[in-house]
Amino acid sequence: MKKKIVGILAAAVIGTTAFATVASAASGTINVISREDGSGTRGAFIELFGIQEEKDGEKIDMTTVDASITNSTSVMMTTVAGDENAIGYISLGSLNDTVKAVKIDGAEATAENVANDTYKVSRPFNIVTGEKVSEAAQDFVNYIMSEEGQQIVEDNGYIKADAEAKPYEAADVEGKVVVAGSSSISPVMEKLKEAYEAVNKNVTVEVQQSDSTTGVTSAAEGICDIGMASRELKDEETEMNLTATVIAKDGIAVVVNNENEVEDLTSDQVKAIFTGETTEWEDLAE
Amino acid sequence: MNKIKERGMKIVFMVAACASVLAVFLICLFLFASGIPAIGKIGPLEFLFGTEWRPSNDMYGIFPMIVASIYVTGGAILVGVPVALLTSVFMARYCPKKIYRPLKSGIELMAGVPSIVYGFFGLVVMVPMIRETFGGTGTSWLAASLLLGIMILPTIIGPTESALRSVPESYYEGSLALGATKERSIFRVMLPAAKSGILAAVVLGIGRAIGETMAVIMVAGNQARMPQGILKGLRTMTANIVTEMGYATGMHREALIATGVVLFVFILIINLSLSLLNRRAENAN
Amino acid sequence: MQTNAAALNSQVNSKKRNSSSLTDQLRSYLRHPGSGILAFLTGLAAVLTFAVLIFLVGYILIKGIPYLTPELFSFEYNSENVSLMPSLINTFIMTVLTLVIAAPIGIFAAIYLVEYAQKGNRLVKVIRITAETLSGIPSIVFGLFGMLFFVTALQWGMSLMAGICTLVIMVLPLIMRTSEEALKAVPDSYREASFGLGAGKLRTIFTIVLPSAVPGILAGIILAIGRIIGETAALLYTSGTVAQVPNLMGSGRTLALHMYVLSSEGLHMNQASATAVVILVFVLVINWLSGKAAKRIAKG
Repeated sequence: MKKKIVGILAAAVIGTTAFATVASAASGTINVISREDGSGTRGAFIELFGIQEEKDGEKIDMTTVDASITNSTSVMMTTVAGDENAIGYISLGSLNDTVKAVKIDGAEATAENVANDTYKVSRPFNIVTGEKVSEAAQDFVNYIMSEEGQQIVEDNGYIKADAEAKPYEAADVEGKVVVAGSSSISPVMEKLKEAYEAVNKNVTVEVQQSDSTTGVTSAAEGICDIGMASRELKDEETEMNLTATVIAKDGIAVVVNNENEVEDLTSDQVKAIFTGETTEWEDLAE
Repeated sequence: MNKIKERGMKIVFMVAACASVLAVFLICLFLFASGIPAIGKIGPLEFLFGTEWRPSNDMYGIFPMIVASIYVTGGAILVGVPVALLTSVFMARYCPKKIYRPLKSGIELMAGVPSIVYGFFGLVVMVPMIRETFGGTGTSWLAASLLLGIMILPTIIGPTESALRSVPESYYEGSLALGATKERSIFRVMLPAAKSGILAAVVLGIGRAIGETMAVIMVAGNQARMPQGILKGLRTMTANIVTEMGYATGMHREALIATGVVLFVFILIINLSLSLLNRRAENAN
Repeated sequence: MQTNAAALNSQVNSKKRNSSSLTDQLRSYLRHPGSGILAFLTGLAAVLTFAVLIFLVGYILIKGIPYLTPELFSFEYNSENVSLMPSLINTFIMTVLTLVIAAPIGIFAAIYLVEYAQKGNRLVKVIRITAETLSGIPSIVFGLFGMLFFVTALQWGMSLMAGICTLVIMVLPLIMRTSEEALKAVPDSYREASFGLGAGKLRTIFTIVLPSAVPGILAGIILAIGRIIGETAALLYTSGTVAQVPNLMGSGRTLALHMYVLSSEGLHMNQASATAVVILVFVLVINWLSGKAAKRIAKG
């Protein structure tokens, strides 16, 4: 019996690895992968690369309809990592060695380059608060915007919103703060929460990871104290008496497969690829 | 005393039975209240039959998604239902006693694997396989249907097997005694006798296929355009809701909830027509 | 010596009988090719199903086991060590509580439909249709509804309770439908015998009908457990994603949500894979436990 199980497991191992290794052979067609309509990453991406065009006063998203759409960074990365011909874009904070970030107009995608404006593709991390802010929530916001909080932002690969923030002054508050919203901001928010709870032991912070819209609506409806949105607020949202604060900036990296020879793309090339003008890797205009 | 107890319990049973009615009522109420106004604003025809989905430009046509949902579910049924039915026959009638227990727990295990795990399995194993064999991106109608076909297996096998087992053994033996082969007895006597249970299982499977989201969005490509072929990507209604709900606001969000309403009505239609079919078959018998 | 030879003899005989029955079977398939093809297809389908299963399980194990470290099971979750212990406990709580609420309702409803309702009763039709409708509703729609109703309208906030109630509605039709089939499968002769012995209807149901229907009901409950453990879309908007073990009105994540959250930004993919292994083991354990429980119920 035991032998059988071992045998079955071995077969499964061989099977899985066999499939893992066949992923090669380049046909040359560019497989474009994009984020979903309305996503903060996509919004910033199409705007900065001019994929969004203005016609008759309306902004039109020109992303090719042939692009595969995903709503998750990890699916984007897994797809690009497994497909030599794929190209996509992700948050700089999530970048790792399974995929390769290309230089844009010669500038490497790093936090420093975003901070000094040589790498221009970035988006804001917003937090929003409703009309009534509890003392504890206000204190947590103060902490995030303080020197210590901003340092944590930078340590995690994001870009400070306020380079000259003042040190945090501990306040005598207690209670519970619920923070909800964008999954892009959640990782850094958890770091902030841990650091803050270490300084101010009377306050507990809960981080609810969902998405930007849920974060903003929750803040408006009072379900949470602080909402997180990894995009600019829409007009309907600013009308809801919310206060938005930018706590950090996040670069957006254009990523390709590690086997792909492309190292450097110009903004025009990226635009041509994502609007569907260029469909073959060989056709990339120099 | 006993009578009161009997009557009391009957009422308890009835109230329990009405729980699902209440649930559906509440869901209808909340969904329709937030979805119908949006359909009204967009225009029902434009919403249902428009082929352009560009929320940032206020174009909300979900026809491509409706078609895609039908295609993907149809494909999943084609892949999953025959395999599931035959496997249940195997489990109920052919399986050697020694390996029955492990196989049975295997199928139960399959039902408990979260859909994201299926999704990653599809993304890492099936999508590259399709890409290597047939070309294209791999994220496609084919990938989605195959993956869903696999996912609905345990949903159908479990109830179908127990339906087959509940057919009295005398049916089987009687058929054998009349000179029919084992297979003939199973497929011509046992399967028809277990029809109502099997149909219920298949409906459950279809429900799971049409409603599955987390796995489908990883392998379907999610292009919001009319489906272009079996190797091209498409976007189902569920995928439309999940991918965009996270960032949608205002009209866009309402249009997504309205997509949910359409999906809901869709499932209503499927269920009604299936129960009609079932009743007709019963009457014919 | 003689007995030995006899034993040997009978063994040979039985072997002969076995092989002859196999050739008989094959010969019969030659005579009835349709039957042969069906038998072949049945075997093929079974092999396919289990090949996929082994492949899937193998994939999960290979991806996850190397990252299954003891730190993953520490009681505190923090951003350095994304422990899955709180989610494991939450999953257990939610599964048990959901079943405690949903199973009685579902089984009682099935009892009503099978044992009490008259055929052609309008109420029964409505109940059937609504149950089927419920079973077809996508989990994301349940999630939206749960958020609109339990979280916002009832003011529960994102909480385990909101998650549990949403799950109850979700698995209810599953339990109802399978229990109904199981009850229907109990032969009428059982009931008649019980009535004949002077037992009342209620007594007949609880002591005769229900125990014989336990395996079928259990099949439904196991499916329900599977759905509860694997659910993400419906819980994302109802129970929330905080990594803690809360009281019922607080927010907490289940294992599947834990995995979703870990993998969504691509920062903790390895731990997400390890979580998948834990989910698998969890499902196995719960299935095994419910099998044991069913045996005991069927006996008692």
